[in-house]
Amino acid sequence: MTIAGFAAFMGISVLSLLGLSTPASAEADCKALVAPSPFGPDDQTGATNRVTPVVTKAAAAEIQTGVVTSMAYDLVDGIPLFGTRFSKTILTSFAVVPGAEYGNNKLSYMEDTYLSQSHVGTHIDGMGHIGVQDCYYNQTPMGKYVTQNYLKRLGLENIKTFATRGVIIDAVKVFQAAGKLKANPACKSPCLDAGTLITEVDLQAGLKMYNVTLREGDAVFINTGWGDLFKQYPAQNTAYNSGEPGITDTAAKWLASQKVIAVGADTWAVEVIPGENKDIAFPVHKTLLTDNGIHIIENVRTDLISVAAASSNRATFFLSMTVPKAVGTTGTFVNIEAIQ
Amino acid sequence: MQRRSFLAGLLACGLGPAKAAEARRFRIALANLDETPGVTLEGLGFTGAELRRSFELAARTLPVDMLYFDNAGDGARAVANAEAAIAAKVDLLIEYNADADANAEIARRLAVAGIPALALVDPLPGAPLYGPDNRAAGRITGHALGAFALENWPNEQVLGVLIGDLADPGPAISDRVQGITEGVRESLPALKFAALDTGGQSVRADALLAKFLQTQRGQRLLIATLNDLAAVYARNAIEMNRRQSDCVIVSQGLDRNIHGGASEKKEIDPNNRGSVVLGSVAYYMDRYGYDVLPLALRLLAGETLPPRTVTQHSLVTAANVFREYPPFDMN
Repeated sequence: MTIAGFAAFMGISVLSLLGLSTPASAEADCKALVAPSPFGPDDQTGATNRVTPVVTKAAAAEIQTGVVTSMAYDLVDGIPLFGTRFSKTILTSFAVVPGAEYGNNKLSYMEDTYLSQSHVGTHIDGMGHIGVQDCYYNQTPMGKYVTQNYLKRLGLENIKTFATRGVIIDAVKVFQAAGKLKANPACKSPCLDAGTLITEVDLQAGLKMYNVTLREGDAVFINTGWGDLFKQYPAQNTAYNSGEPGITDTAAKWLASQKVIAVGADTWAVEVIPGENKDIAFPVHKTLLTDNGIHIIENVRTDLISVAAASSNRATFFLSMTVPKAVGTTGTFVNIEAIQ
Repeated sequence: MQRRSFLAGLLACGLGPAKAAEARRFRIALANLDETPGVTLEGLGFTGAELRRSFELAARTLPVDMLYFDNAGDGARAVANAEAAIAAKVDLLIEYNADADANAEIARRLAVAGIPALALVDPLPGAPLYGPDNRAAGRITGHALGAFALENWPNEQVLGVLIGDLADPGPAISDRVQGITEGVRESLPALKFAALDTGGQSVRADALLAKFLQTQRGQRLLIATLNDLAAVYARNAIEMNRRQSDCVIVSQGLDRNIHGGASEKKEIDPNNRGSVVLGSVAYYMDRYGYDVLPLALRLLAGETLPPRTVTQHSLVTAANVFREYPPFDMN
């Protein structure tokens, strides 16, 4: 067999065998594939540009009772992870061994090593997570900026702040009120089933329930009830990962038009899976992250804040979430708290 | 104005089903062939549950409310299900039933009730038919094998091998085999075929091919498997006998036995381009709903459908599998 024949058989090109660039790896026309950033051609930050001092100050007014509600799951062995993803810790504790303490005061210490992928548990997707071909947020040709260890553009270190107002939309209540809740039998509490489309009309209905109008700089969280399966880990991990209820691409575009900075949900992708169009992969990710610089926050624990909203009749809160300045990374697990 | 004429007018004005939905939603019933766990459809690896799920998913964005029935592979039950659909006053019945006598009775009862129907795979008298083009799918397989041989083994003697439930009396298998032989002989007119009959047990492909390989040392083999599970077992035999350099497989179906998500590492995978399984011809039975429900809406809008609409089969390889079936096991 000739090299060309062998290469064709192997599905690779002779050019790539010779270490040359191939048409497949050539830069795409990013201006045709991705929308420009409204924050300028050099922007790497995305929608958190919208969190101005005025926005943060206004959000602080949400703190009325001081009650803090957790919106993150424990990061622990056994939670749903996809395929080869993993999250492990190694505990260094030798200084606890008798005789290994430090000084006359016998100081001991322990610390951990994380062996973890970043998109696990309650986590945020950064601008470097999703693109079309090699085109990412703000028409960035990422092929130029990828190294073996990190991104040279669009890393999480570019995020400004999430000190803003959070809004919870309880899609379970919306669907119950509309009499269209189709639950998954594996859920122990009401949940929307996998594949359920959450439209912009549903989102607007959820906002209306609590008389909330979205404003620029808000972070929106959606309670689908699907997180019930996450909480049952590991028993329902397969069911949890098999699909999910979520927002449609049209709903994502509507949220983008409201100039929100992040969209989170108690699901692993925020968007409906399987998607509306069988031929399109993760359209909401593209709309929010790639085209609008809006962060996606996945596996958010939304049940507690939904209960709190129902009891207080208030679906807004001050969002407490910080993201490590982990240079060149595409995402990270986070802790989130809602302060009311 | 008659409702169907009105809807046909809307469609003629370029208003699709979504606009028509503002006027009316339709009740459509699917009477599925067999949803018994473990039962697969048409000699391929698809299940009744997968077929039904495709209708559930496709219906989400269409002006339809679905009712589902399981014929359980039983003609009498199919007739009873059709009667239940009629009693439920559905606007249209999509019938998937292999029993010709039962289908004749179903067609008669639907006609009396004035309910239109669409048939899946097996004909229902008077109803437009949607289903696979087995011969065309086979021909795609044959073309792929022939092209591979010309590209990689020019001027070498090659032998064709057919592996599958070759004794199946239904027309689907014989049509696929006919298509395969026709397709490959367009480029290799003198190619001869050996037949390895699994008797409906795909697992036997492993032992059958392993034994055959022992008798064909050094022979280049173009292998057509009639379903994907057989392809997986045949690949195993090839690897165990270290015959990767002179065997290639093209399969039929593209079911979940042979392709999957980003983390599943199935045989047809972008990261497995060196596989002896060159590809599989897609039958898309797990996507029927996306093709059939728009046809149903056209029928309900008063349009006359062609008597037969066929799946647009294509060869899916490591190079295009994630485009054909975007994986969603990443986030």
